[in-house]
Amino acid sequence: MTTTPPGHIASAHLNNRVGPVLRQGELAKAVAEAAEIDNPGKVITLDDKVAYLRVSTEGEMILRRETIEEMLGKPFRMSELEVELSSFSGRIENNAEQVRFYFEKKL
Amino acid sequence: MANLGRLDWYDIARDTNWTPRYVAESELFPEELSSAFGLPVEAFEEYDEPYKTTYTEYVKVQREKDAGAYSVKAALERSKMFENAAPGWLSVLKMHFGAIARGEYSASGAEARMVRFGRAPGMRNMATFGMMDEIRHSQLQLFFPHQYVSKDRQFDWAFKAYDTNEWAIIAARHFFDDMMVTRGATGVALMLTFAFETGFTNMQFLGLAADAAEAGDWTFSSLISSIQTDESRHAQIGGPLVTILVKNGRKAEAQKLIDISIWRAWKLFSILTGPVMDYYTPLEHRKQSFKEFMQEWIVTQFERSLLELGLDKPWFWDDMIHEIDHQHHGMHMGVWFWRPTVWWNPAAGVSTEERAWLEEKYPGWNDTWGHCWDVITESALEGKMDQTLPVTLPVVCNMCQLPINFTPGPAWKVRDFPLTHEGRDYHFCSKGCQWVFEQEPDRYKGHLSLVDRFLAGQIQPPDLGGALKYMGLSPGETGEDALQFSWVEGIRAERLRKAG
Repeated sequence: MTTTPPGHIASAHLNNRVGPVLRQGELAKAVAEAAEIDNPGKVITLDDKVAYLRVSTEGEMILRRETIEEMLGKPFRMSELEVELSSFSGRIENNAEQVRFYFEKKL
Repeated sequence: MANLGRLDWYDIARDTNWTPRYVAESELFPEELSSAFGLPVEAFEEYDEPYKTTYTEYVKVQREKDAGAYSVKAALERSKMFENAAPGWLSVLKMHFGAIARGEYSASGAEARMVRFGRAPGMRNMATFGMMDEIRHSQLQLFFPHQYVSKDRQFDWAFKAYDTNEWAIIAARHFFDDMMVTRGATGVALMLTFAFETGFTNMQFLGLAADAAEAGDWTFSSLISSIQTDESRHAQIGGPLVTILVKNGRKAEAQKLIDISIWRAWKLFSILTGPVMDYYTPLEHRKQSFKEFMQEWIVTQFERSLLELGLDKPWFWDDMIHEIDHQHHGMHMGVWFWRPTVWWNPAAGVSTEERAWLEEKYPGWNDTWGHCWDVITESALEGKMDQTLPVTLPVVCNMCQLPINFTPGPAWKVRDFPLTHEGRDYHFCSKGCQWVFEQEPDRYKGHLSLVDRFLAGQIQPPDLGGALKYMGLSPGETGEDALQFSWVEGIRAERLRKAG
């Protein structure tokens, strides 16, 4: 667990962090695990604020429905992510099988 | 029978930019209500909402969200949270519900304007859900505090604050009316959904949820973080519009509306969110400082998204970064000093331990705000309570409607930003508030601040009692020090110990 990215506030916008911010609970944990599996080779950062969990990485993060389902151990529809998705960094693109967080511009 | 996947039918089903045959396009979508910056409908055909939802999915997901929020409330109803909570925490709840619950209905109206007058079909579809989301937010945030009304009448202000002329709610309403009630569909999308909801609401609904969880108020934490899951969806209405406006030569217009909303939101949050995070929330439950939450949500996350969509940093960005260290300390002191004029009990938050925390988070606090609190503390120690209370009104800004204040101490540069417009004198707290006025003076020039009303003789008798009556605050509702000055006794005991 790490805290908010360090650095001076005036330059804190110069980042490429993307990913979901989820309300705490079993889905947040499953998503954190799925993020590791679905984004091989990328460093996934977890920032635990008790009420919410910020899951982030550089540039792009993909979360697959099947992976989340496997981590949860029960059926999961991608639209159910919204029940716990309080916020996110980056752009979002969602369909029935996956959700993707990304930036088009790299800073 | 096999169902089509959503992606196979969604675009065609929601593509409702039909050609009108009985009325002109301009009658169907008047510029005043659509505020399409004079762009033809074709420019909006490219609108592609990033967060697609169907009505079936919406109902199912919202049902699950409500079941969650209400079941947490039901499960914890006997937990004696109210009885055991620190007084400062109850003030957080009173302030939050009063300032926000009824404003959510205004937001529903704003979403409804996008449903009817938005130029892009996807925008109208997403706003339909947004309109229902905001009704949910009002109803939840009126229902949840209702259980406390019988225990503490200040909770009645969750419902009624919006109908009064109490000064803090005048400030909130002035901003909310500006960006939600009086803008066309595109303006609402830029100012409410993009600037306010992808940005600032995260501070109040997630940052504060983190403090609530630490404070053990799971009902509130669960409630506001659930509300924010609706926001994170419908806040996406604005993003694709920014792309379209930038591409069609309307970047300056889009940037201006977004900048106005960011500046005004910043001012409101400096009094709404800053004091509750850094002074009211009990020290042991503070997850981060207000400044750290601002860095996480507004700078690292929101400002980055501005650049992503082809916008620039607002021209006032450096001023705002500077103010993040300062502004809310003055707002807090003002609210505490004028405490009879608010519907909650402000916690001073300046015990010895709390002052050490403030100095750590805001180096230099002791040499500036600390000196002012020294004077208040001494007066309280000597029992001169009248010197800790106001006899006059503060000078408030003609834009944000908040007290004009600057950081005291050696570098004290107190000033206001005056402007004479059509023979009337206006006073602003900052370059930013003056700039907002100058963008559209006709929109703002007729409004009277509380001080203007006082000087115009609208508040009678012209003293604190008359002002409280004007603001609708009855005895038993007016704010007091949240801890009834018990923090002063801690300091007294400490001094006696040191004196041996």
